[in-house]
Amino acid sequence: MKIAVQLFGPLAEQAGRSRLDVTVTGATVGDVVAATGLKLDRSVRFALGTDYVDASTPVREGDVVSLIPPVGGG
Amino acid sequence: MFKVTTEPLSIDEAYAAVRKDGCGAVALFIGTVRDHHDGKKVTRISYSAFKEMAEKEFAAIAKEAEARWKTGAMYISHRTGALAIGDASVVIAVSSPHRAEAFEACRYAIETLKKMAPIWKEEFYDTGKAWISG
Repeated sequence: MKIAVQLFGPLAEQAGRSRLDVTVTGATVGDVVAATGLKLDRSVRFALGTDYVDASTPVREGDVVSLIPPVGGG
Repeated sequence: MFKVTTEPLSIDEAYAAVRKDGCGAVALFIGTVRDHHDGKKVTRISYSAFKEMAEKEFAAIAKEAEARWKTGAMYISHRTGALAIGDASVVIAVSSPHRAEAFEACRYAIETLKKMAPIWKEEFYDTGKAWISG
């Protein structure tokens, strides 16, 4: 299935883009992250839609997964 | 009201959004762009955000504050885009019947925002730039 992945902040800068489309055979956020081929620090969190989730969360066709590097608002 | 915006932030809007007849206190926090960081001269800052998720996090912060401190109302706005030294980057206002709860809820809101809201800060110096977290 195809899943959109959003990149933000320093991750978007490093990747040179803010969105990737990946095709995955697995069914979790962790599978999606692996399919991006990006080397991620343990500090990067994941969101499914607009909610923080962990890597074991299931994904479905059409979902948007976001990679959330350490935040700096305020 | 909870928003991430490229427009300058309004303190009047924050106050108007939370003021209530049953509340005797409004606490206000304004985060502003500082001109230095770790001994370096900051020339400007750029904020970016996952807007929809950040606004949802702001609403969750307000809901938790209401549950913990029985606050009257909370307002959180955060600016994105290019900011100059002295510009307000975040405005939080919270009302409550008495002052202690307003102060505590306001402190909770900014500390939680800094940990949870998907917002990123890029600082520019006269000698380079860096992403700043925490």
